[in-house]
Amino acid sequence: MRRDKKEDEDGGNPFYNLEKSTVLQEARTFNETPIKIRKCCHILTKILYLINQGEHIGTTEATEAFFAMTKLFQSKDVTLRRMVYLCIKEMATISEDVIIVTSSLTKDMTGKEDQFRAPAIRALCRITDSTMLQAIERYLKQAIVDKVHAVSSAALTSSLHLAKVNPDVVKRWVNEAQEAVSSDNVMVQYHALGLLYHIRKSDRLAVTKLVSKFAKHSLKSPYAYCLLIRIACKLLRDDDSGMDSPMFDFIESCLRHKSEMVIYEAAHAIVNMKQTTAKELAPAVSVLQLFCSSPKPTLRFAAVRTLNKVAMTHPAAVTACNLDLENLITDVNRSIATLAITTLLKTGSESSIDRLMKQISSFMSEISDEFKIVVVQAVKSLCMKFPRKHSIMMNFLSSMLRDEGGFEYKKAIVDSIICIIEENPEAKEVGLAHLCEFIEDCEHTVLATRILHLLGREGPRTPQPSKYIRFIYNRVILESASVRAAAVTALAKFGGHCEELMPSVIVLLHRSQLDTDDEVRDRATFYVNVLQQKQAALNSAYILNGLQVSIIGLERALHQYTLEPAEKPFDLKSVPLATQPLAEQKTAAVGPGETPGVKATEKVAASRQDIYAEQLAAVPQFANLGPLFKSSSMPLELTESETEYSVRCVKHMFPHHIVFQFDCTNTLNDQVLENVTVHMESTEDFEVINYVPAPSLPYDKPGITYTLVRLPDDPTQVTTSFTCTLKFVVKDCDPNTGIPDDDGYEDEYVLEDVELLVADHVQKVMKPNFAASWDEVAEENELEDTFALSTMKTLPDAVKNVIQFMGLQPCERSDKVAEGKNTHTLYLAGVYRGGHDVLVRAKMVLDDSVTMQLTVRSTDAHASEVIVSAVG
Amino acid sequence: MGFFNTLAQWLGMKKKNANVIVIGLDNSGKSTILNKLKPEESKRHDIVPTIGFNVEKFMTKALSFTAFDMSGQGRYRNLWEHYYRECHGIIFVLDSSDKIRMSVAKDELNMLLNHADIVSRRLPILFFANKMDLRDALSSVKCSNMLEVEKIRDKPWHICASNAHTGEGLEEGVNWLTDQLKVVINQ
Repeated sequence: MRRDKKEDEDGGNPFYNLEKSTVLQEARTFNETPIKIRKCCHILTKILYLINQGEHIGTTEATEAFFAMTKLFQSKDVTLRRMVYLCIKEMATISEDVIIVTSSLTKDMTGKEDQFRAPAIRALCRITDSTMLQAIERYLKQAIVDKVHAVSSAALTSSLHLAKVNPDVVKRWVNEAQEAVSSDNVMVQYHALGLLYHIRKSDRLAVTKLVSKFAKHSLKSPYAYCLLIRIACKLLRDDDSGMDSPMFDFIESCLRHKSEMVIYEAAHAIVNMKQTTAKELAPAVSVLQLFCSSPKPTLRFAAVRTLNKVAMTHPAAVTACNLDLENLITDVNRSIATLAITTLLKTGSESSIDRLMKQISSFMSEISDEFKIVVVQAVKSLCMKFPRKHSIMMNFLSSMLRDEGGFEYKKAIVDSIICIIEENPEAKEVGLAHLCEFIEDCEHTVLATRILHLLGREGPRTPQPSKYIRFIYNRVILESASVRAAAVTALAKFGGHCEELMPSVIVLLHRSQLDTDDEVRDRATFYVNVLQQKQAALNSAYILNGLQVSIIGLERALHQYTLEPAEKPFDLKSVPLATQPLAEQKTAAVGPGETPGVKATEKVAASRQDIYAEQLAAVPQFANLGPLFKSSSMPLELTESETEYSVRCVKHMFPHHIVFQFDCTNTLNDQVLENVTVHMESTEDFEVINYVPAPSLPYDKPGITYTLVRLPDDPTQVTTSFTCTLKFVVKDCDPNTGIPDDDGYEDEYVLEDVELLVADHVQKVMKPNFAASWDEVAEENELEDTFALSTMKTLPDAVKNVIQFMGLQPCERSDKVAEGKNTHTLYLAGVYRGGHDVLVRAKMVLDDSVTMQLTVRSTDAHASEVIVSAVG
Repeated sequence: MGFFNTLAQWLGMKKKNANVIVIGLDNSGKSTILNKLKPEESKRHDIVPTIGFNVEKFMTKALSFTAFDMSGQGRYRNLWEHYYRECHGIIFVLDSSDKIRMSVAKDELNMLLNHADIVSRRLPILFFANKMDLRDALSSVKCSNMLEVEKIRDKPWHICASNAHTGEGLEEGVNWLTDQLKVVINQ
């Protein structure tokens, strides 16, 4: 021990310079007799260190070392043997033939030495594969009910691990687990309950019984209680039963348990439930309030952290704790203090903000980046809540921006400022000024380019655009290539938007044409040439609006073009348009063993259409349809949930055809469907020309079938409704093997109707500068009409519905209606099937119901007509 | 400890240690023989097929043995070789009632004798023709004929019939091995 300490003081890690080959060479010492116990222990430590540092050990070398290590079983030394167990566990996956130690471990786990038994069980379960499990099953069952707690715990936890690969074998140990639950040891009880739950978790009824049984006959272990609360929570979440369920009563009763851990777990569970009302929340919050004044820092931290989360959803409930939280602001533990303040910021009233902000500023320098981000986010949400206080917040944020901090921290601040600018037009100029100041001395390229892009977008529309030019041009002189390129683009946008600045911008861009970097030079040359044409249409198409096609689609189209060079030039219209990136929140199912809370995995569905395009391109029947125009964003459910078959529909638009994609799942385990198609019929002129069947649909394996429909020749006939029928050949099969009988019979299944809407023919496109685009399209195909939207009672409703009917992208943030206003103008933009731009201006007036004057401009006369008809 | 060990050895109190490897086909009685040889207090009641190997210790009058009891099942036999290099002697157990698999045992024996770690060393080999109590058991002479043991010229070997349940024949074999190993180890 003393030696270790000394080495630590030297700052050196005794294992720092280990060489893998040397250590493996040393491992040959294991073969020597008699065994040098101390030396071998030391070498085993080195091996463990190497493996845990991520060093890759080849199979041959690992196997050699492993077999040398097995010879250490000769020694009866306790320390050495336990080191061997650890090594066996680590090497179980990298060495071959680890099964060699099975008998030795079995002997240890059934032997007399208690010190060996528990670790031997753990090691044994790591090396055992499914074929060997039968051989040791008997010993494991005995170990589960062993009277030595450590042995029983080890066997139970190992069983949990084994259950991942061999659920069927472990299921047979339910009686032993049952017996272990009644153990008087807290850990054994907890582990046994864990195993019992794991065995039964797919059977909802059994789990319910389990909870209600143990809820009554009180468990001894607080850990087991916590687990039981989590299980009960999962049950509540799954069947959405309200707060009158016995499960909730159980959780609520745990608030009065004598162990703090259980109380906290119950409170945490209640505040995290989806549909809690203030009444149910109150006891949980008051328990947390008590914890706030606990002498234990961990409890205070846990309580304030949970309150902080609750404050987002139920600020009113937390208000009761404000007094206690105020006391925590001066807590010696900075993490607790930060969380207390941010919670107060969420619950506090407008008047208390100034005081709180002052208090935070006093210790901002003392807390870690992670908590600074929490503060920044709290300030941001506060700004949304009290827009009038933006000047204080902005000052606060900008002073933080000037302080030292890592990338994540700075990014959070910049994000917040941008968000505030977008939400609150009054804060725009101040915010932009702060950001300009920040990029004067910004070491993060990503943030600098992002801010430059924002300046390019927002700057030209401020009353005094010229004052931003200096900041941007400074970047052209001082920064790295990628920032210079972004700055050049931003400058060009000022030139394109503000005529009076154009000559000066062209002069500045001329200088960049001599830049050392290719990208910067190219951009400058391009923009100078576009600007010199002095045509508003060109400016808006190539400078202000930017590229609107899907990047992946463009890459594929260009690649295709280079493979088969044609006479005619490449047409950008043939490239699918970029879909507006929709952030899709997918919530993974969370078991009670995991922490609920950190579970949302965010998936950006931006390239979803590109995935579809690739899938469709692989189907030979669709080869001549032309480029894919649009795929509908959300799959349409054509069946009720929990029916025999589940079918979902996705619509793919082509220039003159539609492909309906049906994702089918067979939920009957005693049937196999073959030759599955979906027959569609329409009353109008829509003609089904091809079916692509799914050849076979076994149980629970999704399959895809397509139906190809040709659009009518009349270009204004675009909407209809299809009746759909699923047709297939059924073959019965054995549920266990999945092997179908030879003969089947034809059958069909009626699905819900599929509607074809105007929105399906339109792709959303963002026009950052709507006015310029509006002038560009000109009045040629303009249609104007007035509608009385009698069913809409508010402007936001009307805006939402119009957007939904037309399937167009709202521009200039006109989808947000300012509160208390009676008039609103909505700007929509998109592209109609065939690549025609469509722009819509809808002026709305609220007077009892909403009246709307709709003006549609398009490059195609039919497109205008269709869009107007969408509302009618 | 080192000092006491040396002292004890010098006084002849502490016995020298010998490593032996116990091999043979599955179900020939390796673990049972070792169990019989062990001191009374560490004996086991149930003998199950060995998976991999086990380390057992037992004493004779002059030597302390560390025996590597290897699994005889087909798929583990190729793991024997990992333990050849450190052993001082070999115990090869035969099931004398299993005539059919004598040829398999012979193949395994030849593989052992031709192994790089064995071929050049003068290791004593003790054969136990186990299960002599069974009615159709072959005699030790017949066994040695079937295995062609007499062809081994460069290693001392000995065969004796045994019954692992009663312990009959075990002492004779182990005494021979002890005599042989005493010479090897004292060198």
